[in-house]
Amino acid sequence: MVNKAKEFVATIPFNKVSIKELLSFEKSPRNMLVAVLTVAFIAMFIIGVAIYLTHGHHAYNVTREHPWGLLIAVYIFFVVSSTGLCIIGSLGDVFGFKDYMLISKRAIFGSIVTIIAGFAVIAFEIGHPVTMMIYNILSPGLTSAIWWMGTLYGLYLTFMIIEFVFLLKGDMKKAKVFGLTGLLVGLAAHSNLGSVFGFLNARPISNGVFYPTYFILTAFITGVFIAFIIMGFRYNLNFPDKVKKMLEGLAKIQGLLISILIFFVAWKLLTDMYGGMPNRAEVAEHILGSVPFWTEVILAMVIPLVIILKTMGKKPVLFFWASLSGMVGIFFMRYNLVHDTQLKPLQMLKVKEYQLAPEWIHYFPSATEIMISLGGLGLCIAMYYAGTKFFNLDEDH
Amino acid sequence: MARYGMALDYKNCINCKACEVACKEENGVLLGADKHRIWVGVKEIEGEYPLLDIVSNTFVPSQCQHCDDAPCQMVCPTNATYYDENHVVRVDSDKCILCSYCMNACPYDARYVDDRTMTVDKCTFCSDTRLARGETTTACQNTCPTKVRTFGDLDDYDSEISELLRTREHFSLKANLGTKPKLFYLT
Repeated sequence: MVNKAKEFVATIPFNKVSIKELLSFEKSPRNMLVAVLTVAFIAMFIIGVAIYLTHGHHAYNVTREHPWGLLIAVYIFFVVSSTGLCIIGSLGDVFGFKDYMLISKRAIFGSIVTIIAGFAVIAFEIGHPVTMMIYNILSPGLTSAIWWMGTLYGLYLTFMIIEFVFLLKGDMKKAKVFGLTGLLVGLAAHSNLGSVFGFLNARPISNGVFYPTYFILTAFITGVFIAFIIMGFRYNLNFPDKVKKMLEGLAKIQGLLISILIFFVAWKLLTDMYGGMPNRAEVAEHILGSVPFWTEVILAMVIPLVIILKTMGKKPVLFFWASLSGMVGIFFMRYNLVHDTQLKPLQMLKVKEYQLAPEWIHYFPSATEIMISLGGLGLCIAMYYAGTKFFNLDEDH
Repeated sequence: MARYGMALDYKNCINCKACEVACKEENGVLLGADKHRIWVGVKEIEGEYPLLDIVSNTFVPSQCQHCDDAPCQMVCPTNATYYDENHVVRVDSDKCILCSYCMNACPYDARYVDDRTMTVDKCTFCSDTRLARGETTTACQNTCPTKVRTFGDLDDYDSEISELLRTREHFSLKANLGTKPKLFYLT
């Protein structure tokens, strides 16, 4: 059995890369910029983690009234990206859409690195990550959405790695089985992440069925944005015809998805405001007046949709830039989700002397939170870059 | 085993904050404005001087409501939050991972982080201190100069709290959420 496992691992195809080869890349201005940013982000991650380890949660601007901050938003950002890439990767190798086969390996590998980056960030938000791993098993809270989300994401990562190994080996049959299982587990995990907010009875703005379903939709949208970005870097924005055809298809799907998203968000806000329900209507009105919300709308919805409608998806280079805008918008979407949920104080009376009764909870991330968050992005890019060196992520012929 | 609850004759509260001090002293709660297990909510006087509406000024002492259907207990991923044998909602600090989900889910803002253990802490009805020593009152109740608080076993028909709840009208905070609080505000 052990020999068989050893033999299996030994036959996983990968490139033997020296340190020098690993660090060598085309020194174009764009590549240099990404390289410098990646190194800077990883340095920030190390500094941020060092500050966190010495000061604990005091290094963050989270409070009793606003216990979840930027790191939770960034964790969600990464796991949404992972689920989205898993969906994109599955189009080819699970559902058999031949045009999308050429991105399968790249997307599945992307889904692995994004979720690892997410875990790296959340490890420094959860106060006791080791205790979590122990008591998640010894004393599972089965009524907790966080338990289901965490456990299913752990399983999902395992299935994604197995699928990726079979994709590398060219065993499409087994890749399909593990890919489908991973996709289903990933979708379950992801909707559970939505339910972490949806189950909050105390927070009327997020309570309900909206988030568990909306998370799946936005994951798909995020996956398409990242697909454009990784293919843009792969082909230096000079796409071959086959890739152009695939990206055109993805852009059209994206047009539909963003339209549905706008429809969802518009009705969510209208429902929130209609009738002036206490603790919900005023929060929705507050959200409508906030800059981050409109940043999300313009960058993740309006700009990409306008470009798709104008070009009918036929200009992948333009949509590459729109995807970058889209990902910034998606980040704001996650930040808004976390922050807006906690906007309304649960204790409306004055409890501290010499202060007014609270009206809204204010929060802005600390430097440490920002450094760890950017560090997560740095880790993600570095892992993906290493993957492009160690593995053949292009379609096998 | 008892089912402990508390009745608050909140209109008698004079906002002396002796209960907050006694709680901190008895239970070793950390100093700091955000580190509190119990608090007195203040509704400020309405109107402008000299036409002040004195009766609009009310004090509402509050703390963990020890809900029978506690959202904080339901959302805990490691069952660190649990009901003890007296139906008091407690936190096992060994199991708490500080995910802060309970802080987000509690409708009463009753939880905070204890910086010594880096786990979530909350009112325990003095279970570790006074009740463990065999006493039958909580620190906040014992110290209150106007006898706002009455603590006791809700399942004991003859207890003072049962008598109060039978004879006085009362309400619970955010009762619409279905959390079934065991803190009762007497009217």
